[in-house]
Amino acid sequence: MKAWVIAQNEKAARELAAGVRTLADQVQLVALTDAAAVTGVADEVLKVAVPAGAMVESSVDTIAALVDAQSPEMIVAEPTAAIKVVIGRLAARRGTAVVTDAVKINADGTAEVMYFGGVGHRTVKPAATPAIYTASAATFGDAPAATGTDTVTEVAWVEPASALTVKSTEQLPKADVDLTAAKRIVGVGRGIAAEEDLQMVRDLCGKMGAELGCSRPVAEAEGWLPREAYIGVSGVVTNPDVYLALGISGQMQHMVGVSNAKTIFAINKDKTAPIFNQADYGLVGDIYDVVPKLAEKLQ
Amino acid sequence: MEVLVSLKIVPDDQDIQTTADGKLDFSIAKPVISSYDQNAIEAAAQIEGANVSAITVGPASINDTKQRKNILARGPKQLFMVADDTFQDADANVTAKAIVAGAQKAGNFDLIVFGAGSADTYAQQVGIQVGELLGWPVVNGVSKITAGEGSITVERTTETEVQTIDVPLPAVVAVTSDIVEPRIPSMRDILKAGKLPVTEWTAADLGSDTTKAIDIIETVAPAPADRKREVFDASVDGDIDKFAAALAEALR
Ligand SMILES: Cc1cc2nc3c(=O)[nH]c(=O)nc-3n(C[C@H](O)[C@H](O)[C@H](O)COP(=O)(O)OP(=O)(O)OC[C@H]3O[C@@H](n4cnc5c(N)ncnc54)[C@H](O)[C@@H]3O)c2cc1C
Repeated sequence: MKAWVIAQNEKAARELAAGVRTLADQVQLVALTDAAAVTGVADEVLKVAVPAGAMVESSVDTIAALVDAQSPEMIVAEPTAAIKVVIGRLAARRGTAVVTDAVKINADGTAEVMYFGGVGHRTVKPAATPAIYTASAATFGDAPAATGTDTVTEVAWVEPASALTVKSTEQLPKADVDLTAAKRIVGVGRGIAAEEDLQMVRDLCGKMGAELGCSRPVAEAEGWLPREAYIGVSGVVTNPDVYLALGISGQMQHMVGVSNAKTIFAINKDKTAPIFNQADYGLVGDIYDVVPKLAEKLQ
Repeated sequence: MEVLVSLKIVPDDQDIQTTADGKLDFSIAKPVISSYDQNAIEAAAQIEGANVSAITVGPASINDTKQRKNILARGPKQLFMVADDTFQDADANVTAKAIVAGAQKAGNFDLIVFGAGSADTYAQQVGIQVGELLGWPVVNGVSKITAGEGSITVERTTETEVQTIDVPLPAVVAVTSDIVEPRIPSMRDILKAGKLPVTEWTAADLGSDTTKAIDIIETVAPAPADRKREVFDASVDGDIDKFAAALAEALR
């Protein structure tokens, strides 16, 4: 089978190429940036020459022509905002739909995806060829390191009839948290009433040697922690030895991000909170009362 | 500016049960506006000079009186309700084709607004497909909209940066879930909403292609988490100590 990886970033290019290699004997890496044009991981790099000033999103015509020329049976794409636009438009043209955030992709084209953020699991299969998916390294488990050639083929840019351009940009601050690597994580949720109260939690993190993460509303609705800190199906999926949830109700969308944790602890003032069913050790109590006491006891 | 906001009505996931044989049971899960589509409705309503209509596509069960009012109490002046079991589990392609057919039947829109992603599949694809099918520009991840003359200026948040983009109309945008907080409709808003027009269409009325692009082979409930579930109570003497001891042990 001939399969494509479409990527914008180097890490994803490498990881997805390695993963897709477990399914396909022929792997082409379609690189939408210089950074993603990694050699040695695919049989061929197809490097799309996005002109200076053009948006990656405007590459749909180029990619559509390339699909016609190369006839991949499977496309596995990195889920960036720009690539979601490119493959979504491509899918619409071809009368198909993208299987997004595949948890697993099989060689027969079937894939597993989450339903309601993990409340259910679904097995689906795209009807059309090429079948299009978005995926991450985790989709492929422990794939062996990628192998490949040095061949890089430049793909000529197809000028779109009309295209948006970016007037100005402002860099987002670089994330200084990487929860994917953290062994101990404290997660805070809506149980925290004010931003300054995070100090009490940071003190506990210090005692525990833990990184601070949160539920989506704490990062998104409140903006108290960076986006990179929110854990869950649409945020980061973590792998810690210890996870301590403070004032988090335990919705599936959040818990999916800690389901691999070795031991889960939870403090919540509502004894019926769903998190107690998904924790190893629960404590019914007010975090404002309990957290300082806990920090003291961990001396 | 004529604005159409597109939203999904889904079963409330808080009330999805798991059956003994590991399937999902939706029987007590009431229809609700998919949570991030509430932010999209609010974002549409807050665009200066916008005359907002709403459209929703789904199975017959979405045609719920309470949700009709809930939508119309949030700013839209009329609702196009495409409720037909043909659209049960519709994928992004089938849904986009229906929305395009519905939008064309409903009027002339300058802007179609989508939410960040639906609670059930969170595929973030329908708006993009609608844009492509209409041949309109599409911007996803929109975190701010400012109305202009024949165009809008948007801020768009990607993984690394915030971009400012001028988007000529007509266009499609998908907004982030933190663009604005959704309102909590007042009793008065809800009463008024009951008098606003709702147009009901079936799949046949739209005549869009409903051939499934993604086959759903199986939906199962995940195996319940294998956890100890030992729960202490801070108001019980010594329980905080026991919890702290277990935590200290795990941290060793
Ligand atoms: C498509 C989609 C994707 C999503 N993705 C994610 C995701 O990736 N990650 C994520 O986290 N969420 C995600 N969500 C949101 C998710 O559904 C929940 O809304 C969210 O996780 C709830 O956050 P929370 O537990 O902090 O808040 P709440 O559900 O409001 O819970 C707060 C909890 O704090 C407790 N509490 C309050 N005060 C105190 C106190 N003083 N002491 C102790 N306990 C207290 C309450 O009893 C309650 O249980 C997603 C939702 C959708 C629709």
